[in-house]
Amino acid sequence: MNLQYTGEEKIPAGLDAVWAFVTDPEKVGHCFPEVVGVTVQDSTHFDAVVKVGVGPVRGNFKMKVELLPASSKRRIDMKMSGGGFGSTVDLTSGADLVDAGGGTTLLKWSGQAEARGPVAAVGGRVLDAQAQKLIAQAFGNVRKQLTL
Amino acid sequence: MAIQARPLHSVGVPMKRKEDPRFIQGKGHYVDDLSFPGMLYLSLVRTTYPHAEIKSIDISEAMKVPGVKAVITGKDLEAAGLGWLPTFHGFDKQMVLAIGQVLFQYQEVAAVFAETRAAAVDGAEKVQVDYAPLPVVADPFTSKTDKVLLRPDRESKTNHIFHWEVGDKDGTARALASSPKRIKQRIWFQRCHPAPLEPCGCVAYFDTMGRLQFHVTSQAPHVYRTALSLVTGIPEDKIHVISPDLGGGFGNKVPVYPGYVCAIVGALKIGRPVKWIETRTENLTSTGFARDYHMDVEIGATADGKVTALHVATTADHGAFDAAADPSKYPAGIFGIVTGSYSFPVAHAEVDAYFTNKAPGGIAYRCSFRVTEASYAIERGMDILADELGMDAVELRKKNFVRKDQFPYPSALGFTYDSGDYHKTLDVALEKIGYVALLKEQAEKRARGELMGIGFSTFTEVVGAGPSKHFDILGIKMFDSAEIRIHPTGAGIVRAGTKSQGQGHETTWAQIVAEELGLDPQNIMVEEGDTDTAPYGLGTYASRSTPVAGAAIVMAARRIREKARKIAAHLLEVGEGDVEWTDYKFQVKGVPSKTVTMKQVAFAAYTNMSQNEPGLEATYYYDPPNMTYPNGAYVAVVDVDRDTGETRVRRFVAVDDCGVVINPMVVEGQIHGGLTEGFAMAFIQEIQYDAEGNNLNTNFTDYLVPTSLETPHWETGNTVTPSPHHPMGAKGVGESPNVGSPAAFVNAVIDALSPLGVRHIDMPLTRDKVWRAIRDAETRT
Repeated sequence: MNLQYTGEEKIPAGLDAVWAFVTDPEKVGHCFPEVVGVTVQDSTHFDAVVKVGVGPVRGNFKMKVELLPASSKRRIDMKMSGGGFGSTVDLTSGADLVDAGGGTTLLKWSGQAEARGPVAAVGGRVLDAQAQKLIAQAFGNVRKQLTL
Repeated sequence: MAIQARPLHSVGVPMKRKEDPRFIQGKGHYVDDLSFPGMLYLSLVRTTYPHAEIKSIDISEAMKVPGVKAVITGKDLEAAGLGWLPTFHGFDKQMVLAIGQVLFQYQEVAAVFAETRAAAVDGAEKVQVDYAPLPVVADPFTSKTDKVLLRPDRESKTNHIFHWEVGDKDGTARALASSPKRIKQRIWFQRCHPAPLEPCGCVAYFDTMGRLQFHVTSQAPHVYRTALSLVTGIPEDKIHVISPDLGGGFGNKVPVYPGYVCAIVGALKIGRPVKWIETRTENLTSTGFARDYHMDVEIGATADGKVTALHVATTADHGAFDAAADPSKYPAGIFGIVTGSYSFPVAHAEVDAYFTNKAPGGIAYRCSFRVTEASYAIERGMDILADELGMDAVELRKKNFVRKDQFPYPSALGFTYDSGDYHKTLDVALEKIGYVALLKEQAEKRARGELMGIGFSTFTEVVGAGPSKHFDILGIKMFDSAEIRIHPTGAGIVRAGTKSQGQGHETTWAQIVAEELGLDPQNIMVEEGDTDTAPYGLGTYASRSTPVAGAAIVMAARRIREKARKIAAHLLEVGEGDVEWTDYKFQVKGVPSKTVTMKQVAFAAYTNMSQNEPGLEATYYYDPPNMTYPNGAYVAVVDVDRDTGETRVRRFVAVDDCGVVINPMVVEGQIHGGLTEGFAMAFIQEIQYDAEGNNLNTNFTDYLVPTSLETPHWETGNTVTPSPHHPMGAKGVGESPNVGSPAAFVNAVIDALSPLGVRHIDMPLTRDKVWRAIRDAETRT
């Protein structure tokens, strides 16, 4: 099951502050919704355990995350793969940071996910909406963290 | 209401099933009921990737799970020469555990053995497999392009598995081209799954003599023994296969599955018994599915409705391995029955099969080797032709039926139909349903804009595989066998090479023996499924048990009768030539007062045999001279809700002709069950894959099995035209209702929608699909 998402988030912080935040595995990791734990491997790799509940399929997903920052372009790509209880998810997303003036930054994001196994089969009917919500929540969390 | 058989008259009596008391009291003995000291449990690691390269498998975390004893992977099996398993017809092989790559979602990747079932499952969760995804091919039409090669292990570098054809290609093309009327329709028989309530499983161990004791859910235990010996190199005398009570099979328990091989390897490697029982999801996603035939049906006819030619070109989706358990000379099974009950002067059928990233199989679900697909294609095709001609579907069928006087009938595609009276069978069905009144009602409803449909299916099956000159599996000819022993008191035991999965053999076989020998069927025990005791047989599937093993039982019983005649002559103090078998006993010719019963003869066989060989037993291996051709006329009446697309099956009449009926109650039960499955396929069942190769119907909330709430009321009837070559005239019935009914349901729904101009919808006819068809038709107008 192939899912595609786009959106944008306006963040009340300057470009450099947002960039520093989104390239920090510790900080980004904790923005995942329902995150149970984050283990940072190095400056661009971390493992995250997230709680997943799609329809009747519920449990923890273990995800391996790789950050691919391109600082000259102020673009960060992220690759995530992992799963649990016989399901897997491969997700790639990218975000462009644009100076929106007045100390604010526009975070324009897009992503696509491939879900396999029971989470795709059983959760098929609700997965799309739920994934959309979770991704929006993740970037919303970035905004919240930077707003505080 | 069932009555008990009178001791001396058994065939044709609706005797209560002898096996039912234990089943209805929960006392059946299934594989999962077995337990042995020190028994380990096997859980299989399965991939979620439909197509991927395996970069690495890390078992270290799994081995740390308390209770886990061992983990094996495809590489371990390959090193032991057990990496691959031949498929039954012998033209392909299947990975036991994935080697190098995975080819379908839920494919077996590693085997985890542990002290408890829970520990085995926990261990399987911890096996880390690193995959690099490859492009997925989820349908045969994409596969056909060969843009992604799915089976680099094969010599032939294409996804095309085989091209098979039968009939007169040029003659058919010419006849179609010159036919005044022609129809062409692509008809898809969707992928579905037999879903027996008991999934597959086994227990394997090596006994103190070093002999493999293999308890398994198998419809063909002897074939398993031979196949296991060939695959593992274990001498066949060191393998004992036992198939205990089975909770349904429907063809799903014919193939040998990777879990079985893993259990045996585990038992050998660890030296302890190993049990493997599938989950429901494993059963639905990895074991033998059914159908997935895309059939382009073309029929030619004269303007007044006489058929002139039939051409069917099929694109078949066989999944990742060619594991359709067909007889070796029949890669597309006996699809050549596609001319059905109709007298086609010329026909041509062809099938092209392709690999896809889907589960392998394709032969199961109560179907005599693709006969269900063939029957559905021709029965839908005839309705579409009737629509094209503006002719009544019944009239068109009657006009083209093979007539009673044409039997034995050589079909255009090479079969010799044994017997039948299609006109009579249809007339019985029309009478029973009240066709004339229904047509009147339908006309009135149509005038009011209501959607009512009447659908027919007048099918002919070909079952009882099969004659040794044509049929074999792995080279083993498809005969079957029986051994009968009559004890001193006139009780006895019959053993056969078949294996009941619910068909009622314990009753039916006893009735045959009792009928032939004049004994009490209640005291004839039936034993099947144990390769140490039963004579070699090919098993129960494809409606072959009564046509083949049933015939073997008759012939073995007649051998016993011949021996008994000698003893009877001794008891009657006459020469053997003066003794005749009449009214279930031996009698001195012309002297009705001088008789001796089989029971008396049986006692004498052990106590007073004179110069005759003691004992009373016989074995017979029956090689059928021809297939049998059961047929039937089914009628469905449906009402379709115009606003919701909901279909209500108001009535369903099934008139079957399966030749001589041994137990009418067992036959009726078979028909009820098969009609329910046909109903399921027509309306609710499909194994769907999305474009990325995800199986979307992995459990009973997404793959539906009808309950008594959804199931229509069945009205049954029968006609009897005995098979001329079967020693009892029987033809087999297990699959007829499943083969014949889907077309009746679909034809009824399409008939209901025909005023809107709808000509075809592919199964399953779910509410939303029917609703969309109605909406689209209304939008067009």
